[in-house]
Amino acid sequence: MSLSWNEFPFIALPATLCWLTAGLLACRRARSPQSVYAVDALSLVGIILFTTFIAAFWNALSRPPLRTMGETRLWYALFLFLAGYITYRRWNYPWLLLLSAIAAAAFTGVNLLKPEIHSIAMKPALQSFLFIPHVIIYIIAYALFGVATLAACVLLVRRRQNGNNHELLSFIDNLIHIGFGFLAFGLLLGAVWAKEAWGHYWAWDPKETIAFITGAAYLVYIHLRHQGREDNTIIWTLLVAFLLLLLGWFGTTLFADADRSVHLYY
Amino acid sequence: MTRKLWQYPWGYPEAALFVAGIALTGFLLQLTVGHFDFALLHHPANFIALAVLVGLITLGIRFQSNLLVRWIAGIPLAVTLIVALLLFGFYMELTPQLPRLPPQTPDIVSRLGFRMVTSSWPFVLLYGMTLISLGITTFKRFLRFSRRDITFLCNHLGLWILLVSAGFGAADMVRVVMHVNVGETEWRVFNKDGEALELPIAITLKKFTMEEYPPNLTIIDRQAVPQTQPGGKDEGKNEPKPKQKFFQIDPKRPDGQLGDWAITLDKYLHTAVRIGGEYRANPMPESTPAAKITARNLITGETKTGWVSSGGNIPEFFSSLPLDDGHILTMAQPEPKRYASDVTILPKGGTSINTTLEVNKPVSVGNWMIYQYDYDTTLGKMSNWSGMELVFDPWLRPAQIGMGIMAIGAFLLVWNGTGRRRSI
Repeated sequence: MSLSWNEFPFIALPATLCWLTAGLLACRRARSPQSVYAVDALSLVGIILFTTFIAAFWNALSRPPLRTMGETRLWYALFLFLAGYITYRRWNYPWLLLLSAIAAAAFTGVNLLKPEIHSIAMKPALQSFLFIPHVIIYIIAYALFGVATLAACVLLVRRRQNGNNHELLSFIDNLIHIGFGFLAFGLLLGAVWAKEAWGHYWAWDPKETIAFITGAAYLVYIHLRHQGREDNTIIWTLLVAFLLLLLGWFGTTLFADADRSVHLYY
Repeated sequence: MTRKLWQYPWGYPEAALFVAGIALTGFLLQLTVGHFDFALLHHPANFIALAVLVGLITLGIRFQSNLLVRWIAGIPLAVTLIVALLLFGFYMELTPQLPRLPPQTPDIVSRLGFRMVTSSWPFVLLYGMTLISLGITTFKRFLRFSRRDITFLCNHLGLWILLVSAGFGAADMVRVVMHVNVGETEWRVFNKDGEALELPIAITLKKFTMEEYPPNLTIIDRQAVPQTQPGGKDEGKNEPKPKQKFFQIDPKRPDGQLGDWAITLDKYLHTAVRIGGEYRANPMPESTPAAKITARNLITGETKTGWVSSGGNIPEFFSSLPLDDGHILTMAQPEPKRYASDVTILPKGGTSINTTLEVNKPVSVGNWMIYQYDYDTTLGKMSNWSGMELVFDPWLRPAQIGMGIMAIGAFLLVWNGTGRRRSI
């Protein structure tokens, strides 16, 4: 089976509808056993639909669909919801399921509004067995940081309303530590690949520089937390870090020297 | 009782002032002696500098209960150093960085080192301070090893080794591009002034090959006058990148749309030659991609059929399909899918190696790595030379060891999360 951007709306719309309904059902006050079951069923149907599209799209392109901005958004929407769903199941945060469903729907919406053209070409420099793990591990890290950011916003609001929430903070810590592990691993794979492709493992390419900046910002958070800080500084650190992450993901073309970058999506 | 500034134990205010002091010292050095000259760290100077660094760290560990040392190895200074390096990184991201300074009299921004941040004194000094702070923290913990500290140790030790190898090894690294003509042997590289540098490796280029993707089709508006030309409304400005629409030739998906036209790919020949008005499949090196297209106007229903070809390197092979008065359908130049050089590499005093150099598939010869770098892009697959980059990096192994240790640390972070409080 092969599918392209032309068929995307027919899969993306039902999938995101499933996710949003699952999120809303999970957040209802009175939850019957049937509705808990429906949340799982709807989440999984959405995940299967999305995964099927990516697999069929991959087949149609004859290359991994990880090259363009729209393609990375596709994976991000899936992983963001997946991360939200796993944390909902593991830690029972229904609001996180809803928030990640909304965020995933937003990323899918951008893809629906900005369709990309069919393109099978891929630069020789991208043709490496490291391409898929490098990008996918990064997207997983981005998804975990995305979920942590949503949780941090909720924590900020809750603190304004009714004081602190230690449980939520330690949940955020956990996501950030796991996310940072993925981020570091993605960066290291990138360094190994850079040595194979460009001759050096670190070249201060604009994307590398912003990756360093993003990593450094999350390191600040991790160290502040290990020092035992709990005030709102740490939440703002997280929000700034995620802003830097988004800048690195979508804003690479804005940076100086971007035209030299091999990381430019188009 | 509130603590006064510079009263032990120190914290963030002292760290901020200390880091600002280092940066200021760096800027003053930058203004007086110019950029940090990495050539100063050439072997064996980098080993001496490394010995000094290790000496400082040993001294730090010897006096680890001293309040000053505890502060140097502590979180407030670490966080402040990270923030300072982050800010330098952010500055680099926003302004163009130069590989080397132009010879004319520099402006104040250049003199402060902001056009080459990574070799400016403030950056180098902060990098050095990071190595000291990180080194003391790491080895202090390393010496009283506990299994609970394994994640901490992998992350910090790996990073320290990587930063040391990258920093101290920078001076010993050599990167040059050698151009070899097909059928010839080369062992020299030339700088801009035409001076030759002889390398301990000779390369014979036996053959250069390239495969290409099926190209894109696009519609050209014959009447569009670029607005940047004289008389245009953006006269004198830079030509904006045209937002051209493309149709990807993909035999698996013959139907598509381009502007107001429905496009059908009737026939596609990846390597073809033109004979009269027709194209025939032919694998000869000068061949070009060619496509027989039917285009139907979605508004008027008008249909056009004909051959379209980029022509490759032979102007006579070019064809376009006129659609209406203003528009023609043309084929863009194909993009490279794979290019490679069949070479014989002969290291000085070694045995020759026959191999194929390809993007993402470099070849190691001793401490040298040889890469497929470029080719004559105007000739594409007909290029009669190939550029190969030769990289000498004796500090690569330790850097890789550092990265390996960091990878274990990253895995443990993913595995444990914050599971064990102290072990990060």
